[in-house]
Amino acid sequence: MAEKNKGAKNTRKSRMIALSTTEKEYVFTNPLDRKVKYMGETIQIKLYEDPNGFSYVLWKNKKYPLEIIEKNQNKYTVMLNGVWHSFTIETPFSLKRKKFLESQAGTSSSVTIDAPMPGKIVEVLVEEGADVKAGEPILILEAMKMQNEISSHVDGVIRKIAIRQNDSVMKDDLLIEIEKH
Amino acid sequence: MKIKSILIANRGEIAIRIMRTARRMGIRTYAIKTAKEPNAWYLDEADDIIDFSECLSDTPEFLDIERIIHAVRENNIDAVHPGYGFLAENPIFARRCEEENINFIGPSSEVIYNMGNKTVAKDIARKNNVPLLRGSKGTLLNADYARRFANAIGYPVILKAAAGGGGRGMRVAENEEEVERMYNLASNESAKAFNDPAMFIEKYVAQPRHIEFQILADKHGNIVHLGERECSIQRKHQKLIEESPSPALDPELRETMGNAAVDIAKGVGYFSAGTVEFLLDADRKFYFMEMNTRIQVEHPVTEMVTGIDLIEQMIKVAQGEKLPFAQKDIRLKGHAIEFRINAEDVQSGFSPSLGTIEKISWPESKNVRVDTGVRDGSVITPYFDSMIAKLIVYGEDREKALQESSNAIRKFWIKGTKTTLSFCRAVLQNRNFRKGNFNTSFLSSELKIHYHSEPEEEMLAAFFAVFDFARDLEEAEGKKLNVEKGKNITPWLLNKRLR
Repeated sequence: MAEKNKGAKNTRKSRMIALSTTEKEYVFTNPLDRKVKYMGETIQIKLYEDPNGFSYVLWKNKKYPLEIIEKNQNKYTVMLNGVWHSFTIETPFSLKRKKFLESQAGTSSSVTIDAPMPGKIVEVLVEEGADVKAGEPILILEAMKMQNEISSHVDGVIRKIAIRQNDSVMKDDLLIEIEKH
Repeated sequence: MKIKSILIANRGEIAIRIMRTARRMGIRTYAIKTAKEPNAWYLDEADDIIDFSECLSDTPEFLDIERIIHAVRENNIDAVHPGYGFLAENPIFARRCEEENINFIGPSSEVIYNMGNKTVAKDIARKNNVPLLRGSKGTLLNADYARRFANAIGYPVILKAAAGGGGRGMRVAENEEEVERMYNLASNESAKAFNDPAMFIEKYVAQPRHIEFQILADKHGNIVHLGERECSIQRKHQKLIEESPSPALDPELRETMGNAAVDIAKGVGYFSAGTVEFLLDADRKFYFMEMNTRIQVEHPVTEMVTGIDLIEQMIKVAQGEKLPFAQKDIRLKGHAIEFRINAEDVQSGFSPSLGTIEKISWPESKNVRVDTGVRDGSVITPYFDSMIAKLIVYGEDREKALQESSNAIRKFWIKGTKTTLSFCRAVLQNRNFRKGNFNTSFLSSELKIHYHSEPEEEMLAAFFAVFDFARDLEEAEGKKLNVEKGKNITPWLLNKRLR
């Protein structure tokens, strides 16, 4: 028991980093303690749940509603005041290792275009092997009575088309793989 | 003839909004229940429910004209209010009501047909000397014809479905390369949505304002306009924020445009509530766009500044009553802004966000009106459009209305789905919007980031993620939180433990 408590105490005292999608590092020390430190300074953040079932954080006398909308191992998406933010939670050690691995792997060359919403493929506008520019429409997805153009967000070559015209797709289904230039 | 019962052939917030006025007038209300949302709130607000749960055809329930007509006959209902949407704009439905002696709360089927077909509507505007944009007089044969026509009148051009509405079946082409692709996109969309692929083309005014006039007319030839609505804050021709009055109009221009709107409505023999839409260019020249022959989503801003209940007037006109006021009696007082709250992920290009509304709450105040069809536990389905609520805010003037809006949005909390509230905040933060200096290109050219978040907000979100992760880790390490003793609960989690 004593051993376990010791381990937990280490968690309380440890330093943890939330790494945003824009690679911004938010460093917190003692995240479970009253005296949580952010970037070395002690700050006071209060978390509440109101009688209506909303969670909110009180910060400098202002209320910010928040909820976790996705959580998978160390990957988090938190919605705060209607805007979502994605992070991976790292320890100083794991962050160092992550950076090292990334420097070894070079830049990842392939990106996937996933279905942003459930719907039906109306038309595929590209073929495998075709060159695409960022912003160029690559397929048309019909959802909620609207035909939506789905565009590539990178310059590259179409490596794989995983869907066909008239296919129904679920959210996050792989549609197209693009090899980045 | 006095209407004693109404079938509301619609769902969501507009069904509830119509029922409230009907109930106040002592009219019995009927709603249609579908299998797509059997527990929706609007059903609880109705006096009686007609069950369309059993699927009889591929036609969506609210578009199934014969089934609706049959239900009205079977239940001996006096009248039908179609709300807004495809059914309201379908002349065949209004015609069937007329044939069956059912009081259709809206204009005549002939007027719906004439105004719904935009080429006919333009002829009527032309005859009444209302300015129009250069474009095709009739519908286009095909994409190649569209390209040749566009080359002749010059770019940019807009391709519009002859039967379109609500932003569907509409595309802008900036150059010759785009025009055929855009024609096909819009035409396919229109074929699916309205069963009509016919398109027409016109010169596209870059950066116009969208100004529309609310019309109210009775069956005795009396007609008034209730001022304008400024609807320039749009995304892909879908309105997102509307206000009345428009910061761009002065009394003189309001009178000129209002008279033009009245002339068009008179020219077609209009009765009931309707909306005449105009484009207003940078030189304050205006052009007739189209007339919507139904109640509009954004009607509440007009109600707030005129004090007139438009649904009540629609019902009274349908009963054959005369308008209780003339143009000189109409006064616009104060300023109202409507924010459409859609279940959409602004940060992922406004893609639909499905799920369950776990919690929804807003600040109650005399200056805040919320029209919504959702409550705690409501499910957002892919079957209907993504609008879940309308927040309408009133102020003595625009400045005060903006201030009230910021406060109201801050306190408008929704848990369980992503919404356009973050977009509304971004617009309210924008200097040019606050100054009233904007047009329909606001989203693409002025508002670089479509949501608003203070730098500190990301830090707070980051903290919450770290906190949750650390707590899970602590629990995984075998140390269960001891609630009774309370000594291991983080001290600043004051009210109640999260999760």
